[in-house]
Amino acid sequence: MSTPVQAQEGRVPGARTQGAPAGRGRGGRLGLRPGRRRLVVQPLAVLAALGLFALWVATGEITGTASALLTPATVVSLTLEHLELTLVAAVVVLLIGIPLGIFLTRPRTRRLAGPVVLVANFGQAAPAIGLVVLLAIWLGAQFSTAVVALVAYGVLPVLAGTITGLQGVDQRLVEAGRGMGMTTGAVLRRVELPLAVPVMLSGVRTALVLLVGTATLAAFINGGGLGELITTGITLDDTLLLASGAALVALLALLVDWAGRVVEEVARPRGL
Amino acid sequence: MDLWDFVAERREQIAFQAFQHVSLVVQSVLLATALGVALGVVCHRRAWARGLAATVSSVGLTLPALAVIAVVYGATGQGVTAAVSAVTLYALLVIWRNAVVGLSGVDGQLLEAARGLGMGATRRLLRVQLPLAWPVILSGVRVSTQMVMGIAAIAAYVTGPGLGGLIFTGLTRLGGAGALESALTGTVLVVLLALVLDLLLVLLGRATTSRGIRA
Amino acid sequence: MPDSTASAGPLDGHRPDGVSGAAIDLVGVTKSYPGQGGAAVDRISLQIPAGEIVMLVGPSGCGKTTTLKMINRLIEPTSGTITIDGRDVLSLDGDELRRQIGYVIQAGGLFPHMSVATNVGIVPGMLRWEKKRIAERTDELLELVGLDPAKYRDRYPGELSGGQQQRVGVARALAADPPVLLMDEPFGAVDPITRQRLQDELLRIQDELRKTIVCVTHDFDEAVKLGDRIVVLGEGARVVQYDTPAQVLAHPADPFVEDFVGSGAALKALTLTRVGELEALQETTTARVGDAVADVVARARAVGDAAAVVLDDRGRPQRWPWLRQLQAEGDVVLDRVEDVLSVDRRATLNAALDAMLGSRYGGVVVTGKNDVYEGVLFLQTAIDAVATTRGGSGDDGPVPVAGNDEDAARALAGEGAS
Repeated sequence: MSTPVQAQEGRVPGARTQGAPAGRGRGGRLGLRPGRRRLVVQPLAVLAALGLFALWVATGEITGTASALLTPATVVSLTLEHLELTLVAAVVVLLIGIPLGIFLTRPRTRRLAGPVVLVANFGQAAPAIGLVVLLAIWLGAQFSTAVVALVAYGVLPVLAGTITGLQGVDQRLVEAGRGMGMTTGAVLRRVELPLAVPVMLSGVRTALVLLVGTATLAAFINGGGLGELITTGITLDDTLLLASGAALVALLALLVDWAGRVVEEVARPRGL
Repeated sequence: MDLWDFVAERREQIAFQAFQHVSLVVQSVLLATALGVALGVVCHRRAWARGLAATVSSVGLTLPALAVIAVVYGATGQGVTAAVSAVTLYALLVIWRNAVVGLSGVDGQLLEAARGLGMGATRRLLRVQLPLAWPVILSGVRVSTQMVMGIAAIAAYVTGPGLGGLIFTGLTRLGGAGALESALTGTVLVVLLALVLDLLLVLLGRATTSRGIRA
Repeated sequence: MPDSTASAGPLDGHRPDGVSGAAIDLVGVTKSYPGQGGAAVDRISLQIPAGEIVMLVGPSGCGKTTTLKMINRLIEPTSGTITIDGRDVLSLDGDELRRQIGYVIQAGGLFPHMSVATNVGIVPGMLRWEKKRIAERTDELLELVGLDPAKYRDRYPGELSGGQQQRVGVARALAADPPVLLMDEPFGAVDPITRQRLQDELLRIQDELRKTIVCVTHDFDEAVKLGDRIVVLGEGARVVQYDTPAQVLAHPADPFVEDFVGSGAALKALTLTRVGELEALQETTTARVGDAVADVVARARAVGDAAAVVLDDRGRPQRWPWLRQLQAEGDVVLDRVEDVLSVDRRATLNAALDAMLGSRYGGVVVTGKNDVYEGVLFLQTAIDAVATTRGGSGDDGPVPVAGNDEDAARALAGEGAS
């Protein structure tokens, strides 16, 4: 029958499905994506490693400084210090990076994005240890100085992620929003930011991992954290101690990375 | 003390440290490039091997530099070995991942065309895949070079060679004379040399990338 | 003609004659960008009658999209005035204005992170409708564009085909029942077959709603098919011709338009005529299950037919067998796998001819409402009918104003004041 047209085209192969990469249809949401297995394996592996480490410390013959430092209480308090450094810096980084990224993608200020990112990249070439030491000379060796150094170091990934994410939003969708009568603020809130979220979050996770790693350097300037186990271990030539510190900080970085991935997975808007 | 005087007084020693730093980075990156491309060639064909490369590289890059340096140093007691190992490892992780991405990103139709022309596996790799994947690999080399310039500076803590020594001198003299000059000289030189290396890599990229695929 | 309302109420074109669209007037509208030589749009004046589909066509870069986007002020005109339903759009708040104008772009422009229902409900939401009313309206609109609400409401755009996305795009634009619909290359991103269907669908919806639709396309065939009128634009949005499709095809204003129309203008004109308008339908012998074959054959022979159309119990044509076939079968039966070639009376002559050329009788069965048999159409009678109806359908009403000079602007402005 050639009567009018019923709507059953089904899924036309090669039809434009904007925003969604191929294979991300319903099947994609039902099946486990390759990256998802890691969300389960990674924390389990980290916990297993921590368990082994605890067992080793408990049964091994530990002497001298190592025995004084490798008590549960010290390890926990150093870990909390490390996390505190990371999280305080992360909050400041988000408060600076995201609004700045938004600002640098608005029509009027868009042209500033290139130069700002260039300068930020230039700054990122500075060695973290140099930055930490210079700031300590200027501001004194203490916790807050370490936070300042971490913030300076962690802003770029968040800023770059925000800018890249927002720039990656299909301009036709922005115009569609405007064409429907959304205000610029509503377009930002309801269209641009949700669509930029995946890229922004991956920038945030990069920054977090970078912060955990760089926070080890805080130990050099009395900033605290797990780096102290490592520096003490190196100074005393105590292999057990420095290996313990290295292992703990590596496991912490992997846990933070995992937490970031979980957030990315959960916060990704449906439909993307 | 004037910064200029500081540098002028120690210019030979500083120049030597700068040379050491660059030499460490360049040699390690060269080694990492060779290893990374070889591993990439081995890994890019199978999905599980690609997954492995991606996972190992991403986990490895999560590890804090000081932790890796400390472990190698603890195992060998060797500052220079620790520095070279850590620097090579980080560069390798980045380059390996990019090699896998670049090689597996080559259009399958082109490879089929190459087979249709009668090219064998080796020739396909050398004439088609590597040239097309080269920009991606080279960008991995650039990123890793920037990154390990800073990691090499940290390695100075375990008596590794290079400009990190100046920074740690500043740290030990914290509050004393010359601390600022020392740390500043070390930091600024690392930044400048990193930029010079990056520029050289850009030029290398221009010279070695086929004109047909240059962006 | 336009009310002289200056109040801040919503734009509304609902009128007793079923037209829900509003008239749009562009008077001397210019858009120029600093640092560029000529104006992108140069003093265009254009009168767009309420309830019609007006197609803006022209080569790329001619300013057709800029002209369209100035109507909802996605692009602010440099000078000139634009009125919708007699109200100056430049005096309204841009966002408020756009909530009262439907806007459809290529591939629908759906937000991939929002479900189909959320996408459709955006404008009503901004207009602060109640949740329940939005939900009802959404279902109603999905129904209208031919998508089962229960099935598609909660899907995401990435899970739809290109054609389905475009349908949702149209539904979204119609959500708050705007008097005006602006479409920017709406069907540019779908395959040709889907495009045909969507075009037919749009015409059906327009039959029902009678909005004022301004549509940009670079596809002249699309302009001919969809448009009540076509504006052919040249560089700087110069109005080269503003006419009905039939007139543009029959009398292109100048070589530029002729070039744009392309070859086969007469063939393209076939898409302008609907089968039902032809008055060339013929009766033929029909048979139903239970009729005696001898009886049917006798009736057919009496009027000179060599075949008979078999109808089912609801009068829908099912088969069109030769008489000797019927005689061989002995009974009038339906259960023969044999698709009868039929076209709807709303089908274009183009489609009908296509069907006829594939038919062994050189003719095609024409159906009306609910697929009920209406008659048959043969090649020869169709050709005769075309010859007599050439020149387009008569009643085009008063010719609207268009141009890029003072005269056109004055004519429009004067009329607005009367």
